[in-house]
Amino acid sequence: MTRAPVPVIAVLDDIAVEQAKTGDLEALERVYRSYEGLVYTMARRICRTEEDAEDVLQETFLEVCRSIRRFRGSGPGSLTAWLKRIAASKALMRVRREKYRDADELPEDGAAIGIAAADVGLQLDLETALMRLPETSRAVVWLHDVEGYTHEDIAEMMGKTVSFSKSQLARAHLRLRGWLGGGQHDA
Amino acid sequence: MRKHCTMVELLAIRDGEGTAWARSHVDECHFCQRELDLLYQRVSALRTLPAHRPPRDRWVVIREQARRERRGRAVRRVGFGALALAAGIALLIGVRAVDFPLGAPSATDAELAALMTQSRELEATLRSYGTDGRVLSGRAAGIIADLEDRIALVDAGINQVSAGGGPPDQLIGLWQDRVDLMDALLSAHVTRAAYVGF
Repeated sequence: MTRAPVPVIAVLDDIAVEQAKTGDLEALERVYRSYEGLVYTMARRICRTEEDAEDVLQETFLEVCRSIRRFRGSGPGSLTAWLKRIAASKALMRVRREKYRDADELPEDGAAIGIAAADVGLQLDLETALMRLPETSRAVVWLHDVEGYTHEDIAEMMGKTVSFSKSQLARAHLRLRGWLGGGQHDA
Repeated sequence: MRKHCTMVELLAIRDGEGTAWARSHVDECHFCQRELDLLYQRVSALRTLPAHRPPRDRWVVIREQARRERRGRAVRRVGFGALALAAGIALLIGVRAVDFPLGAPSATDAELAALMTQSRELEATLRSYGTDGRVLSGRAAGIIADLEDRIALVDAGINQVSAGGGPPDQLIGLWQDRVDLMDALLSAHVTRAAYVGF
């Protein structure tokens, strides 16, 4: 795994986007080069393995090649939002398909914070703790808290209810709270 | 009476949806205030996690697959043309049989009709595999793209020979090539389907 502490989206001009809409493969490659980091990062956060994340990256950009003619967005953020939506759907589809359900049963969150402290003391770093969460919970945390999707969006993408999304988020934070303790949450 | 807020309640406060009781409780309870602060810190730290870069360049594979899909669409268009052409040739053969009712269909006509039927059957089988949208390795995509290119060339040859009234032997040779290539294309897809467990 190679990490880059640099911005993941390179500058992509409108002309390149318009050319990509015509199916021009060179322009599509520019779109790929500009967004591969952003898409792969989201996929890597949601999927369990590097290989799955790579497959999501590939499936996302294949979908982009097929559908960019129908992309009608304008403005700087619309292409990013469109690509993220495709990537999130592909990643969630993979999570469902792979049936990573073994660890998805987290305890109910009826209890107050102070009671759910079974894992306190592990003191994992944030990245390790995030990867330790079950796929579904991790996907909800990432999509809601980092990517800014609403619970309604997430419920729609997952084919679940809004309350499912909210409860997965709460369970995930309860776990993270236990694993990270009360100190700094450094990556 | 509950002592502290649950995580659901803290998240609701964070998202501006907290109940009056929860908001009021957090204002007064140092423990819950700290938990809310930790929640904000945690989310803030999540947002600053480093970006990942893909370990391998996938663009070549994506490009080849996109090209393959485009060629597939072109081949299907040509394929429908070839089917129409085959129907025309079959009609001609029928007309000739009517024109010369005493003579049996020639071996050439029968061979041509058999090859066209074989080609149609292979196309139908290939369509039933639903090959669009599958993720292929770069090598597999390259092989399939090459076969589709060659089929498109053969189809162009068939159209040319048929339109120009070329010799039947040449037409039979081209249809035989088409059948062989379709067979190879089908094998490539079937091998891939078996490999990925479809």
